Amino acid sequence: MSIDDESPDATSALGIDDSDDCETIHLKPSEESPVAAVDVSSLKIGETETGVLAAIRGAVVWRSDQGYQYIRCGPLAFHLGQSSDEAASSIALGFGSSHFFTERAISRLRNTLERWIQREICASLQNAVVLFDGSLTVGTPDNPSAHLARIMESARERGSVVLAFSKSTKLCAFGRRITSLVSGAQAPCLVDIDQAVRGQFESHPVRLAGHVYVAKLADNGFAFRLDADRQVPQQERIEAMNRLIASDVVMQGYPETLRLAHIFSTFTANDVIAVQRHLAFAHGLRIAPRFNLRKSLFGPFGTWGAA
Amino acid sequence: MQLISFPEEEVNKGDYLLVEDQRSHRGLIIQVIDIQFANIPGILEDILRDVMTEESIQGNDIDPLDISSQVAVLKDTKLLICKIRGALENGHPTHDVSWLPSRINSSVSKFPIETVASEPSPSRPILLGGIKQNPKFTIDAKTLDGRLNIVTGKKGTGKSHLSKLLAMSLLDHGAPCLILDVNGEYTNLTRRASGESSPYEGKIAVLTPRLSLRFTLAEVGLGTMMDILLHALDLPGTSARVFARIWRQLEQKNELTVKSLGEAISDSDCHESVRDALQSRYNTLADSGIFTDDPSAANSRQLLERLAAGEAVVVNMKNQSFMIRRIVVELLLSKITELLSRNRLRAVFLFAEEAHLYLRETYWDDIVTRMRHLGIFTTFITNQPDTIQESIYRQADNIFLFNFTNERDLEVVARAAKIDGESVKLLVKDLPAGHCLAIGDVVRDFPIVVNVRPLDVEALGGTRYFFQESSIVCPK
Repeated sequence: MSIDDESPDATSALGIDDSDDCETIHLKPSEESPVAAVDVSSLKIGETETGVLAAIRGAVVWRSDQGYQYIRCGPLAFHLGQSSDEAASSIALGFGSSHFFTERAISRLRNTLERWIQREICASLQNAVVLFDGSLTVGTPDNPSAHLARIMESARERGSVVLAFSKSTKLCAFGRRITSLVSGAQAPCLVDIDQAVRGQFESHPVRLAGHVYVAKLADNGFAFRLDADRQVPQQERIEAMNRLIASDVVMQGYPETLRLAHIFSTFTANDVIAVQRHLAFAHGLRIAPRFNLRKSLFGPFGTWGAA
Repeated sequence: MQLISFPEEEVNKGDYLLVEDQRSHRGLIIQVIDIQFANIPGILEDILRDVMTEESIQGNDIDPLDISSQVAVLKDTKLLICKIRGALENGHPTHDVSWLPSRINSSVSKFPIETVASEPSPSRPILLGGIKQNPKFTIDAKTLDGRLNIVTGKKGTGKSHLSKLLAMSLLDHGAPCLILDVNGEYTNLTRRASGESSPYEGKIAVLTPRLSLRFTLAEVGLGTMMDILLHALDLPGTSARVFARIWRQLEQKNELTVKSLGEAISDSDCHESVRDALQSRYNTLADSGIFTDDPSAANSRQLLERLAAGEAVVVNMKNQSFMIRRIVVELLLSKITELLSRNRLRAVFLFAEEAHLYLRETYWDDIVTRMRHLGIFTTFITNQPDTIQESIYRQADNIFLFNFTNERDLEVVARAAKIDGESVKLLVKDLPAGHCLAIGDVVRDFPIVVNVRPLDVEALGGTRYFFQESSIVCPK
């Protein structure tokens, strides 16, 4: 899941409810086309005296005549240290405090793999619907807009359209969470909220590279924020959605291809233990319980983090 | 105690492990009583994911660090449920286990339990069979001496085989054995499997009541006869007193024969009901064929001489009625007790197969208390564990448990002393045929699964089958 999700201006999210002005676009399954989905997960595996251990894994799943297929890359393990001779030092430098360093370094690693897989898949498929996890929000140091722009351009050149589904969103419009805007609508449908939310990002360095909709793809399903490549004409974006619902299974309002990509990339508890075991065997690392100052000082009388 | 075991580590139920605390230089001796899959959080989720996607979705994994193999290891990781059996302090075994080793600074290794469960070179060895790390597991015959033993398990698991092994091994060391054989399984111990005679020829006598086991009334004696009448034939007390009077009168006249006893009962001037009671018991005794007036046909002396010489006597009670069995056992035990108390016999190892078929209620406690002190060391053999009283289990010094799958039977044997019920249930229900869990003094209270060694004797008493490979003839 992309880390640079939306961060709208807090004040601009407040407003009068004139949601009836939003256009509801009813979708209709059209011709089938290839569908592919990309997702990448990252996890902090542990800490060392000089840094942190992290693992990332990415998966691409596509639907073809033979059914669903996947390529999974990882888990890849990294030691993110502060010293310059570490493998990931170029990522690690300049992040300030250690906690901030950790989070930013891991997210940059994840983004690097995610963008690479996205680029490769967009450069490989013709006339496809390519699904990303998260939003198409760009403009942060970890997620420069140029990378995503090139990926989407590559897709457009091959007749493909990039659609990004956010499983959770903080975006509000008309004084409501955007996902509530489609609660009464008949699925499958989209509500175009781009105008309503674009203003929330005006004073922010981040930028919306996608046209923002709320998508309700199945009755009794969930509603999701959907970003579609802004450079693609509106009619083609809608047609891409029509092709998506014609080509992919949509369970609970979420495309199956993207759900599988998420499942394949996510780390389970056993993956974490397996990576730890690999590191212990391959690099002689010894797993020790994390030092807990509160536990050491107060023992059973500690409040375990409560004030 | 629970331990994690990775797939490449071969551990079986019943195995012993040593958990050595590197800092305190002590070790705990633990036994694996059950093996389960390690219930690592999320493992079910992983397996479900694999199962759900393996057929519907195909693909490639680019896994440069080969983490998937580690996940596979985790999925097959086992959880060993163990019981603490003892400890090693400076290399010496002890049953003091009032401490726990460090979880962090301890190492786990396989432990050769025979090094502490048996003498390195016993003076009277009995080769019992093989254990996991030692194909020749030996116990000391002394650990059966003066002890109460129980051999139990469901049918066809090897109980009688072990009993034969124990009896023949004791015989090797000159210990007299009296075997009460209800199925005629011990009658061919002098024959090898090939049918040839074995070295036990001449050391084992098979006596069959009515045929080769008969007694004169003088040999039996009044005391023993009263035991038979009271306990085997349920003669009322008043009638018993009249019988004793008749017996003594015949003894005084030196006319104590089966025939004269019958006549004396008929002619006695007692109450009619007493006479009828005596007459019916007399008829039972006379019809049993165990008693004879011909001293040359009686062989109680031979029986006792053989026992005194350290030989074995098999009392073949196959096809004998319940009453005959009770009379014979009453007679033998009473006679042997009498001889032991007079020190004419040093001790006897008694093997009692399915003892509930012939042993009266009051004998059970007598055997584990009074007779034991006199020198009758009993081994009970049964496939119905609930026929042996719980008090007997509690006082048993050695128990050899063969496979049981029936929950009720397991419940009964789980009450066995010297080992916890959970261990019994978990270890015994998975024992293969021919394997037993030895508990007690023979293994110095370290329960051990033993693969009982084969015996070169003619097999008798095994289940007879109709369908046998060699006997199948296909009609043309």
